[in-house]
Amino acid sequence: MINKKIINNYINQIPPSPKVLKETIRLLNIGELMKAATIAKTDLALTAYLKNLVNRAVYGFKNEVNDISQIFGILGVSGSQQAVYNYLLTLLSPDKWILFKLNSNSFSELQAELSAKYNLILEHLKIVDKDIQSTITLLPASIIVAEALFKHKEEEVLLLKSVKDIDYNTILKRLCGVDLFDICGIIAKKWEMPNKISQIIQASSGIKPSKDEEINKIAKWIHLLLFYELSKPMFIEANLNDFIGFQVDYVEDIYEDFLNITKVDN
Amino acid sequence: MRAVLKNAIAVFYPQGFLDGNSAESMLSIDDIKATQNLEADMVLVSLKKIIFFNKNGLEIFVKMLLKVRKVHHAIIGFCDYDLKKFTSIMKFFKEDLSFSLYNTLENASLFASSFKNTKKNVLVFSDNKSQRSMMAIELHNYGHNPIIVQTKKELDVKSKNKKIYDNIIENSHIGSTEDGSIAARVSGNAIIYNLSSFLDASITNSFNIYYHNNSLKAGFRLFIFEAHDVASMNVHAVNFFSKLASSAAEYNATICFISLSTKKINKKFHETLEDSGIIFFEQLETLLEDKKLLSELGASTSSNIKDKKVLNKAIVTQLPNFIEATVETIQMMTNSEAKKESASIYTIKIQETTNKLASSIGFYGDIDGMVILIFPKNIAKKACELLIGEDTDDDELIMDSLGEFVNIIGGKIKTLLSDADINIKITLPRTYSDVSELLTVANNRKGVQVDLTFNHDKFSFFLTR
Repeated sequence: MINKKIINNYINQIPPSPKVLKETIRLLNIGELMKAATIAKTDLALTAYLKNLVNRAVYGFKNEVNDISQIFGILGVSGSQQAVYNYLLTLLSPDKWILFKLNSNSFSELQAELSAKYNLILEHLKIVDKDIQSTITLLPASIIVAEALFKHKEEEVLLLKSVKDIDYNTILKRLCGVDLFDICGIIAKKWEMPNKISQIIQASSGIKPSKDEEINKIAKWIHLLLFYELSKPMFIEANLNDFIGFQVDYVEDIYEDFLNITKVDN
Repeated sequence: MRAVLKNAIAVFYPQGFLDGNSAESMLSIDDIKATQNLEADMVLVSLKKIIFFNKNGLEIFVKMLLKVRKVHHAIIGFCDYDLKKFTSIMKFFKEDLSFSLYNTLENASLFASSFKNTKKNVLVFSDNKSQRSMMAIELHNYGHNPIIVQTKKELDVKSKNKKIYDNIIENSHIGSTEDGSIAARVSGNAIIYNLSSFLDASITNSFNIYYHNNSLKAGFRLFIFEAHDVASMNVHAVNFFSKLASSAAEYNATICFISLSTKKINKKFHETLEDSGIIFFEQLETLLEDKKLLSELGASTSSNIKDKKVLNKAIVTQLPNFIEATVETIQMMTNSEAKKESASIYTIKIQETTNKLASSIGFYGDIDGMVILIFPKNIAKKACELLIGEDTDDDELIMDSLGEFVNIIGGKIKTLLSDADINIKITLPRTYSDVSELLTVANNRKGVQVDLTFNHDKFSFFLTR
């Protein structure tokens, strides 16, 4: 089905992050918002992405925001960094989704929803850390990896699922010894994302809790947030709900708080 | 979302947040039809991976379950939940609890009369006295040993002694059920049918004769009719079973009845059935636990098949689909490359029978026949690793998973043939730990044999009728 050779081929095909993005992120890292905006403007695709992102309903701006300097100003340093990482991920996403019934719009919607809710969570946890704030951007990468590796194996996976409650992540782990989140970690390394992002993402799979309590705390919230978003009709219909296994026990102690923050109605 | 089927129990595993909107997106009309087609004895929704649900979300699943029950009279309900979830469900549906609730899937299986779960010591507690009694009666009917406790305090004390009890049932509820179905399940290598109520001419409609005949072709030789819940039967039903026994005799197969004494049917009918070769037993356990007797009755040995149909063009033209389904599935599950060695049309020939496992699966519909697969133990083990989740040398576990694995192959064959506008149904697979036993079933049958290697391990595929 999938073997290590296929995984290695996939990893080798991941392009390095473009220079403009690297420089934009570097400038954002040192707090140079305006300089970063000037550089970002030179990448038209990034400009279009940022405009599209920030004008989504979830951001709640009354008037359309068009200028990149203005966008970076509104989002702040960590928000801008998060947005640029989100864009980086879209470079990896397929032109045409096969396994998951997504398109560039619904994928961006998922990114935006995750980012907006994650910011609420960090506010609740009183965490101010650029790297932690950017972590949520890498999570959709696991969906992209699953799409890339399993897109021609949908039927086989469905048959497998007809006899066993098994998800893509578990299949990959059992077949090749690596899982979707390990591959996300490799992508993060290739794109020179901070190591902490990769560690949190690994833990957020819910099956490999971190020994670092701070990382674990964030990872739990991310795991629950992911399943909150993937339980929305749009993403259930995209076949995303069961692409990884939800670990209820892992998040049990935070779910009352989560319901309050996300205001789920009983 | 599709249900996972194992041991005649179909289970849905939704995850995350379950409300009216999400539940509606999880279940399509096709999903409901597919569940009805599974013909499971029990259809459950596991709440193991659900962190939040509301009444609207559960109601969508309940409606689906009721639709399935309307067609197949299966036991329906929810399982895998904690006290908090149980309390919520009871509160939501207190007026109309028409489905069952089992605190774990393992406990639910106790009510599905699966052979593997019989003779369990089960500690039972419910606040509701009539529920306690109902559970105890049901458990007893299915061959278990229920121990009822009257209070929660007593339950807490007794449940501390985990060694004594195999299962502890609490926070559970037996919903209303419907009877009248003739469901089949495999127990070891015998097929068990469950009969109930008064049996008359309608048995010809409710009994799936195609399934039965194809199970005979697939090599099953012992058919057990569990008649504990049968009130009586008339002459039409007696004639039906007599004919069934005669046709089974052509395959050297045996038909047994459990709990059908002369108290239930008149002596003359009983003699008629006996004359046609049907054997009667008081208890299912007496039969299933006596391995020697089972062997004598044909559950572990097989004999020649008298009805030998020849391969026809309709089947042979579909051979590439059969091979593709088999090869792709094995490649998928083992991460190995297949290499075709030889193909021939003759009787099945296996050079080396040691260290090999086999399975046969019958199909019927637009075309009918049987696929026999002979696996080197290595390949079978590797394929089952993905299902089991670890490397194992537990032969029983491997044989159990091999059945699931061959089911996947059968499912793939069904899909590929369906793309070619050929509709088939598949029987439950039969597995053989001893290949020579399979060879007895297939003795002198002509068919197409394709020998393949997967990473140098020899594998044989045989298609016959």
